[in-house]
Parts: sequence; C-alpha cells; structure tokens
Amino acid sequence: MKTAHGSSPVYLDHAATTPIDPAVAVAMSACFAARADYGNASSNHIVGRRARAAIDTARQELGLLLNAQPQDLIWTSGATESVNLAIIGAARFRAHRGRHLITMTTEHKAVAESFDALEKEGFEVTRLSPGVDGILPLSDLEAAMRDQTQLVSIMHVNNETGVIQDIEAIGTLCRSRDVLFHTDAAQSVGKLHIDLEALPVDLLSLTAHKFRGPQGIGALYMANRPGCRVAPLLHGGGQERRLRPGTSALHQIIGIGVAARLAQNRLAENLSHVTTLQARLWRGLNGVSGITRNGCAESHYPGILNISAEGVEGESLMLALEPLCVASGSACNAQSGEPSFVLKALGRTDLEAQSAIRFSYGPETSRSDIDLAVKLYRSAVSRLRTIAPDAAA
Amino acid sequence: MTSVTEPVLLGPYNEQVRGLFQNPRHAGDAAAGNGRRYEARASEATAGAQILLIAGVTEGILAALRFRVFGCPHLIAAAEATCERFEGGAVNKLQEFSVSDLMETLGVPVEKMGRILLLEDAIQALLSQVDGKAINRN
Repeated sequence: MKTAHGSSPVYLDHAATTPIDPAVAVAMSACFAARADYGNASSNHIVGRRARAAIDTARQELGLLLNAQPQDLIWTSGATESVNLAIIGAARFRAHRGRHLITMTTEHKAVAESFDALEKEGFEVTRLSPGVDGILPLSDLEAAMRDQTQLVSIMHVNNETGVIQDIEAIGTLCRSRDVLFHTDAAQSVGKLHIDLEALPVDLLSLTAHKFRGPQGIGALYMANRPGCRVAPLLHGGGQERRLRPGTSALHQIIGIGVAARLAQNRLAENLSHVTTLQARLWRGLNGVSGITRNGCAESHYPGILNISAEGVEGESLMLALEPLCVASGSACNAQSGEPSFVLKALGRTDLEAQSAIRFSYGPETSRSDIDLAVKLYRSAVSRLRTIAPDAAA
Repeated sequence: MTSVTEPVLLGPYNEQVRGLFQNPRHAGDAAAGNGRRYEARASEATAGAQILLIAGVTEGILAALRFRVFGCPHLIAAAEATCERFEGGAVNKLQEFSVSDLMETLGVPVEKMGRILLLEDAIQALLSQVDGKAINRN
C-alpha cells in the first residue's frame, strides 16, 4: 500500500484502529473454509451447537482478559453500540428511580450523543469538565450527585489525549450512592490491566479493533448485581440474554476471542514496548520550540501522545507529515475540521487545538517508525513556520 | 472509466495542490534589487488564516511576487500558483486573478472559498498600493 506520494505509510493511528493480528485473521478465515464452524448459534443441531461452543470459548477468552464472568459479557457491533446500550438502556431501566445522569465534557461522541438523546426524552444531564490535565476531580463528581442520580459515565482512557481517569475511585463513589457506573473502555481494554472482579464498575464498553481484533464486534460488560440492568434497544430474537438480539456474528466473535487471548498473553510486553516508544517520541519532540503536551503526563496511557505546536496550522501539518498516518486535533471530526472539543475542554485555544497531532502506536510500531515521525514532525513544523507570516498565530 | 478509488486516496487535495504545497518556490520574501517593495496582508479571524503578499515592482512589472501564509494546504497552494502565474508580468495583469478559476483548478471545496477570498483581498490591497487599481470580482 502506498500513499499519494508513492511512499509506504507509517501507521501511528492505533487509537483509531489497530492492524488485525495475523493469528486473529487466520482464526476468522477458518470460519469460511469448507466444513468449518459456519452455523447459527441459535440452531439446536450439531452445526449450530458447534457455533455456540465457539462463541462460548470466545466469551471465556474475553472474560479472562477482563477477569469477568463470561455470562456478564454481551456481544455487540462495537463500542458505539455498547455505549448506547449501556447509557440509554440503563437510564431507561432505572428511570422510575430518578432521571438525573452525569458524564464528562471530554467523552467520546458515542457517549456524548447518547446523553443528548436522553435529554430529548426528559432526562437531566450534568456534564462535568476536567482540569487542564484532563483529569476529573472526584470532588466535582461528588458535588454533582443528587438523590435522583442514576448513572455516571466516565471514560477510562481518553481517545485523544490518553489521559486515564481513576475509575476505581469513581466506581467506589458511585457504589456508595447506589448509582450505576459505566465506563467507555474502548481505548484501555487489551492495553491496560483491567480486573472487573476487583473494580467497582457496573457497565463497561469495549471494541475488538482497538486491540488487534476485527472491526464490527465489541461487547458490553454488565455486572451481575442488583439494580444493574439495561433495557434493550433492539428487539427480535432472544440472543444475548434478550438484551442484544440478532444472529451472532460467528467469525467476528471468534476474532475478538483470539484477540483477547493474545492481548492478555502480551499485555505486559506490549505496555512496556509502547512506554519505551513514547519516551523516545517525546524525547525527540520535546526540544521543538512552542510545543505543548495535551493531557496529563502522570496518569496517561503511553500508547497515545498528543501535542500542539504554536504557529502551525493543523491541516497543513497533517499533509506535511505524510506518509505518517496520524490524527489531527479534530480527531473525531476529521471531516469537519472543527477544533477538537476534548482539547478545547482542556483549555486549548482553537488554534492550539487545530494544531494538535495525536500519535498512537502499538506492538508492531518500531523504533525506526518513531524516529521517522520525529524527523518528519520537526521538519514539517520548521517548514510551515518558515512559510508563515511573522505575526501568525 | 475513471477509478473511483483515486480521488479517495488523494484525499481533499489534488495532485496540483500537493505539488504546490510540497514545493512552494515563491514562499518567502522578495529579495532586494527587485524594485520598489510593497506588502499586503489579509487575515481571517475565525480560522486564524493569514496571508502576506510581498511584491517587488519595477517599471510596472512584478519583478518579484512572494507570499507568506498561515493556513491550510489549499491556501498555500493557491498563493504559490498565483505568484507563479503573475511574477514577471505587468502589475495590471493581477486584475485577471479569479477566485472561481483558481478554485476550479485546484479543486478547492466550496466551504473553503473564504480562504481563497483572503488571497483576493491581499491582491486587491496590493494593487491599490501600487497604482490604485482594483480587480473585478467574478
């Protein structure tokens, strides 16, 4: 694969999606082979039962990664669907107890727009802002809670900055107030150690393609405890405990299972690798004048580094960085060009947010990839500043 | 039949924009010895885009036409294409500058028209400084 200039792309956009692991691809491909497990898991004949067994295996593999009971995992099409099911489903299920909900301003749009939809149904939503480091002060959450509060949704790792929220402390606070706690863990599952037997998390959303599994498959973890329940958004068959009906996507579920097993086996090694890469990347970029690191350096997933540069226009920077595949400060608005609302919530100006570049990398990223990124970034920033009028930005 | 994948792979920038952006030979200042020096600046508050045109004029000829830009690739490419086209010609030729023609040539999306109008503003300001003439909008 070549870029528009004919050079091979260097993929540093793992927060958007990760390359599928070859072993995952092999396992999925086997589904399409002759005499393979192609059945409908709802069928009671042998072909269907074989499919069901494969799905049960995948559920166990994902359960092991999260230290969760397999039966507490519901297959979905990905994190967006999981988030919608968790937030809208839980709010509706508990609406008779209260209609106040809490989230943050730096959440992914799947979360933000699920809450927007609930507001139209008459729910009241409090959106808390983080500090300039991206971290939500626990005291702010505590102060926002009311007797009517039924659900808190705070993401684990931010998709733009890599900032890690203290979900243990947040969950503990929620449990003490009998409030459900949902976390969007799309960026952390398979990358950070998560122990759902120990963590006070009621609902957790995840997707396979962020940890080298296939796109189009995810899961919602729903703790087996009183009051923790969601109303289904889809209606049809009785699959997934009637909470997410529809024929199970066998090959994708097999894929997420294998990806979960591999992620668990390599978690420590991968985390160490991206930590080394981040140190190398930051060391290389830190010397560029007018550079700001977005987020919190202390509570931070090291596979993501987000930086802004003074005097540089973001769209031009993105093009000048080719063949690097990175994300801009309008990460989730790549088509709109609007400055990132996440970075704006951290106090960045429009120009600072638009100049932001998110580097995200993974197990297959090499040191030479990082060195090339440093070289291209330094060169691009220097060139664009040379072109700019003196008074620019 | 044209492949539908090609425009997708190029993204929002056609080959010409990419070439002009990568190699903006007219970015910078007009060197001394190119006649009388003029500067015209235009900026857009919302997106923070800025353009500075610098001309060296001698006997009605644009001996040098250079630019500085803080802005998107389309604006950089448009500035470079404009300087390339008009440098060495009569100042009055700048009146032939056309926003719509440039947008069509460079494949500038309509939502970015404001950026190209910045270039027109700078040219207009430059013309009014040199001999008070204005260009026709089209």
